Amino acid sequence: MSLVQISSLKKYFDTVHAVDGVDLEIEQGEFLVILGPSGCGKTTLMRMIAGLEKPTAGQISIGGADVTALPPRKRGVSMVFQSYALYPHMNVFNNIAFPLRAQRREKKYNKRSIREKVETTAGLLEIDMLLDRRPRQLSGGQRQRVAIARAMVTQPAVLLLDEPLSNLDAKLRANARDELKDFQRSSNITAVFVTHDQIEAMGLGDRIVVMSEGKIQQIGTPQQIYDDPANEFVATFLGSPSMNMLSSNHFKFGFRPEHFLPKTLNDNPENARIFHYYVKRVEYLGSDRLVYGYVQGRESELTLAKVPSNVRVSLDVESDYEFAVHNSDLKFFDARSGLRIAEQNLAEAL
Amino acid sequence: MANLALPAFPLDNRRFVGLLFLAPALIYILLLVGFPFLLAIAFGFSDVTVGNTDLSFVGLRNFEAVWENDIFRQVFETTIRFTLISQVFILLFANILAIIFTQEFTGKWFARFIFILPWATPVSLAMIGWLWMLDTKYSPIDYLLLQTGFLGPGGLLSKDRNLFWLASPDLAQISVIFVQVWRMTPLATVILMAGLSSIPTDILDQAEVDGSRFMRTLLQIKLPLILPIMVIALLFSMITMFGDMTVVYVLTRGGPVDYTRVLGLYSFQVGIEGGNLAQGAAISLFAFPLLLAMAIFMLRTASRAEVR
Repeated sequence: MSLVQISSLKKYFDTVHAVDGVDLEIEQGEFLVILGPSGCGKTTLMRMIAGLEKPTAGQISIGGADVTALPPRKRGVSMVFQSYALYPHMNVFNNIAFPLRAQRREKKYNKRSIREKVETTAGLLEIDMLLDRRPRQLSGGQRQRVAIARAMVTQPAVLLLDEPLSNLDAKLRANARDELKDFQRSSNITAVFVTHDQIEAMGLGDRIVVMSEGKIQQIGTPQQIYDDPANEFVATFLGSPSMNMLSSNHFKFGFRPEHFLPKTLNDNPENARIFHYYVKRVEYLGSDRLVYGYVQGRESELTLAKVPSNVRVSLDVESDYEFAVHNSDLKFFDARSGLRIAEQNLAEAL
Repeated sequence: MANLALPAFPLDNRRFVGLLFLAPALIYILLLVGFPFLLAIAFGFSDVTVGNTDLSFVGLRNFEAVWENDIFRQVFETTIRFTLISQVFILLFANILAIIFTQEFTGKWFARFIFILPWATPVSLAMIGWLWMLDTKYSPIDYLLLQTGFLGPGGLLSKDRNLFWLASPDLAQISVIFVQVWRMTPLATVILMAGLSSIPTDILDQAEVDGSRFMRTLLQIKLPLILPIMVIALLFSMITMFGDMTVVYVLTRGGPVDYTRVLGLYSFQVGIEGGNLAQGAAISLFAFPLLLAMAIFMLRTASRAEVR
């Protein structure tokens, strides 16, 4: 059975449906990422798992027990906030010890076991030399580690992380991502990570839950989500630059810029669709060339191509070329519902 | 950037405009705080009276005379005692009320509104109200106690029909302190409420997820975080109360005997009512170094307790 089971969970704030019927199962030891644009309900969903927000309807169970009506301290969850929410008037030791002291009666901790746990956890996160410092004396990366140590010290069933990397500068972030993943792997803790950053989501998640407008759009591994999007929202939300989306009669079809290449590069032209492509502008991005242009007959829709720099095809601006997309890289969506539709019969209709 | 072709216009001058904006505050401080303060110092070192307003320098004579005066010493002691005792209750009540008023409950707006009234009412008006409440013969409090059998023949509190709120030495002092607490608690509460609502919600959510319950969150998170603001609130109400004369002037005129005579009132009685401006000024100046030291000490404490 899954560690966390969420069924038809809803949260309405007056007329706003922040979370609108979410069903989700989280497995023991998995790194689950909830991804979506801001305002999609991902933080509200996490706050309901934590017990900070009372659901309007639905049920949450953790470890087989229904926790829907329980306060946070009886759920066995811990949380790292985007701001880290370190207690500014306490040193690092007291910050990490705080949840232990708050639960000392239920869990029968004493002074010595608290000290041992704090020191072990701090050692694990390599902050044991900072125990006497105040939060304001720490760097961003150190603060993040203290927040994670404080969340881990009680050995929770589920660790909830609300965009914990977004306050770090870009250089530190990649490093912190790698460390966080390592740490989760080695401690085998179940982690739920909320973010709006698709690179973080792709890099960290065992599975990704894509949310929009309070509803789950798709659940899957990073590869499933990227290669096999369930609907137009998922298809265009992931990927940078995002998927080209062109309209046809009753449907739309999309293809990713990196799959849209000069025909001469295509090794299997029988299984590819050829487009006449007018190149308007080319950006040289180092590893790639980003091409802006129009597909013939669809001049109202800007279409992008991402051509690796190391393929030696010259692309001149304001010129016409033949570009190709492999049939399997063409995705079709219903024009009205945005849902993915089977490709075979539609490929002919193009 | 000023256009050189145009003649200089005064409002283009940054220094001039800056001064213009500062002027109202500066004029207010100079005229209504600075000038009277300097005048009080000048009076304190002279022999000026209401009858003879020539300022002739007499050195420390006024201060020596005041310090030798037994009544002054008692007044000084009473002022400090009243101030300290009332601050304890003000802080206690303000903390409790601020915590209550920052919780969610129905009718919160109305409760807050009712509660702020003592502070919004003009002092003299409120004191006349209390004068009636605490009246020696017609006090409604006495009437209620009489009806419930606490007063009158066979009563638990007194055989008499009245408690003499403002006429018996002990009760008069308690009454004055009580009314001061009633008057000052709202402001302190509002200041503390501002402090409490400035605590980031993330911190409080974090404490909740960490398993902290109401009392732990209050004592270990909320109160330490609003400590600097609490010191400011304390400083405010202490200084206001130390110099106040309205409450006792309306309620007791310092009586019975000298039991409720405080510094502000005594200075007024000697200097204005008694006509001895020089001594009155000297009396009020005694409070100055004390208040100054207190203010410096508390502001330093506040800035040291400031975290972030």
